[in-house]
Amino acid sequence: MHLSKTNITLAFTSVVVAATLGFSESSYAVPSFARQTGMACQACHTVFPELTPFGRSFKLNGYQIDNLPQVAGITSSKNYELLLNQLPPLSMMFQVSYTSTSKALPDSVVGGADAQNGQVLFPQQASLFYAGRIAQGLGAFIQMTYSSDSGSFGWDNTDIRYARQMPLADDALTLGVTLNNNPTVQDVWNSTPAWQTPFDQRTSAAPTPGAAAMIDGGLADRGVAGASVYAWWKNSIYAEFGLYRSSPQGVGGSAGAGPLDSSTPGGVLTSNAPYWRLAYERQWDRNALSFGTYGVVAKISPEGQPAGPPSDRFRDVALDGQYQYLGDEHIFSLQSTYIKEDMTLDASSVLSGTNPTNNLKTFRLAGTYFYQRTYGGSLGYFSTSGSSDAAFYPVEPVFGFANGSPDSKGWIAEVDYVPWENVKLLAQYTAYSKFNGASSNYDGSGRNASDNNTMYLLAWLAY
Amino acid sequence: MKTRFMILLPALALAGVSASAIAQDSDAGTLAREVCASCHGPGGRSISSTFPRLAGQQAPYLEAQLKAFRGRTRGDPMAQAYMWGMASQMDDGTIEKLATYYAAQQPAHGRAADPKLAQRGKVIYESGIPGANVPACVTCHGKNAEGNSTFPRLAGQHAEYLVKQLSLFKSALRSGGNAPIMHNISEGMTFDQMTEVSAYLASK
Repeated sequence: MHLSKTNITLAFTSVVVAATLGFSESSYAVPSFARQTGMACQACHTVFPELTPFGRSFKLNGYQIDNLPQVAGITSSKNYELLLNQLPPLSMMFQVSYTSTSKALPDSVVGGADAQNGQVLFPQQASLFYAGRIAQGLGAFIQMTYSSDSGSFGWDNTDIRYARQMPLADDALTLGVTLNNNPTVQDVWNSTPAWQTPFDQRTSAAPTPGAAAMIDGGLADRGVAGASVYAWWKNSIYAEFGLYRSSPQGVGGSAGAGPLDSSTPGGVLTSNAPYWRLAYERQWDRNALSFGTYGVVAKISPEGQPAGPPSDRFRDVALDGQYQYLGDEHIFSLQSTYIKEDMTLDASSVLSGTNPTNNLKTFRLAGTYFYQRTYGGSLGYFSTSGSSDAAFYPVEPVFGFANGSPDSKGWIAEVDYVPWENVKLLAQYTAYSKFNGASSNYDGSGRNASDNNTMYLLAWLAY
Repeated sequence: MKTRFMILLPALALAGVSASAIAQDSDAGTLAREVCASCHGPGGRSISSTFPRLAGQQAPYLEAQLKAFRGRTRGDPMAQAYMWGMASQMDDGTIEKLATYYAAQQPAHGRAADPKLAQRGKVIYESGIPGANVPACVTCHGKNAEGNSTFPRLAGQHAEYLVKQLSLFKSALRSGGNAPIMHNISEGMTFDQMTEVSAYLASK
């Protein structure tokens, strides 16, 4: 996450920021779809939230398959003017978590004292979903989430899409358009940031590395809205292009929703940010292999600054790949992505004395195995590195950086038990060999990378 | 996109309770392409052995199975997970059209199998397993495993799918239709014999 100097203190000394990162990167499966289609979760998910080839097809075709009695209205030419479930496809999600770090965080008020280590969040998040068809060709995944960190409800992952299928060269071509609030939330492969298995499910109650690319959750935190068009052919070739704009909620406070400006807490996209995605998938027998590229170019005014020029420019170019084996007894998947971000800090370099340019590289690789969709686990590696910039990545207790370096790396190991298709119990351990620039004393206050090693227990219910 | 006004007015005028869109779809080809093909592949020639190939299947068999899904009398795990929902709102006309559509599709090519395995499977298919009270499959499923009415076509089917169905018949997890017949037959088969006959059929 990139922050200008003016807000660095506020942002990095607040556990709320860590909470927000976790909040925006969470992801869910929805029994709404099961209610609508009459199909079990396993049709669309290996184990939620990872999608199967059928789940990808269902999403790209606008969440259309519907096996409920309908309220319908047709025209004289037999076109459906209304096709509405008699019962709305609603569902709930409830998460309870326990988080402890290797070493307690310092007390936020009393120097030398520690905060309580071992935080229970009840709930960590609770969500209400509407997920399913709205009209013929039009469907939505809409999530409203209560987060105990903020103590309030807010809009979470949202993807509203319209899609049409047509025959082309003996196969199906799907053309669609999606409106959504986070680049890659509309994506159907679990190798892109919004849904990357198993990195999408992290605690909100422990420090997490402070540097991440815009496409890697950065824009979701700022509140954006995007529209993109896509094509999907032969269950194989996918192309998408879209534009994102700032759309933070609650801007303007009591004055109402005025034009976005320096009062916006997350910085403002000063213009349309183009987003692209190309992917190729090959399916054979029980296997699916995909690889692709995605990226965004975002111009952002630093927080607390007017939306006019100059602005900082972030260009993210990423590669990703996924392999899935979907057996009856054994399911295995592998996901990886590499993101390179080039920053041109025309605004921050003048305002805050940052470097005129920076770069940031992120790599993640993880494998997940499940036996009978019940017992499973994941093992993943993550690494972020980039150019050093003491003004962009300042020293700060717990959340600060050593030598202005954004480098972090480590491992994540997870054990899962899925007693029912819609309940997941997991224990996850994250080990850092480097955190915000160093292995030891990274924050200048004596905290080591391994002090942030995190044990996270989660009970995740979707119903 | 039409305006909200245009959507709502005729809708209010014509609104009524109906079956799902799937049941109402009159074009079996469109339905097969836009819905069924997600799992069963274009023209019913599925890629994944999780899902049976339907191309060239006997129409009476397909009809019987779809009705068994709809009536929830076929209750194996995959039937419950996938097909109970998919068939729940289908009317008889849609079922008939879909069955006719898939029966008319060109079957997928068989997949070469280990010759020794396939040879042992061929013997089972044509002669049964006399000592185990397993009759010859050819009697009902036809000389070329093309099927006959409610006895399904087996030629070119995924081997893994066939093994799984035989196991389901044996354990009586698959019910409905001709399942009682197949339960009695498969009881005398070992897993290896199921693998052999399936390899032979998949190669045809």
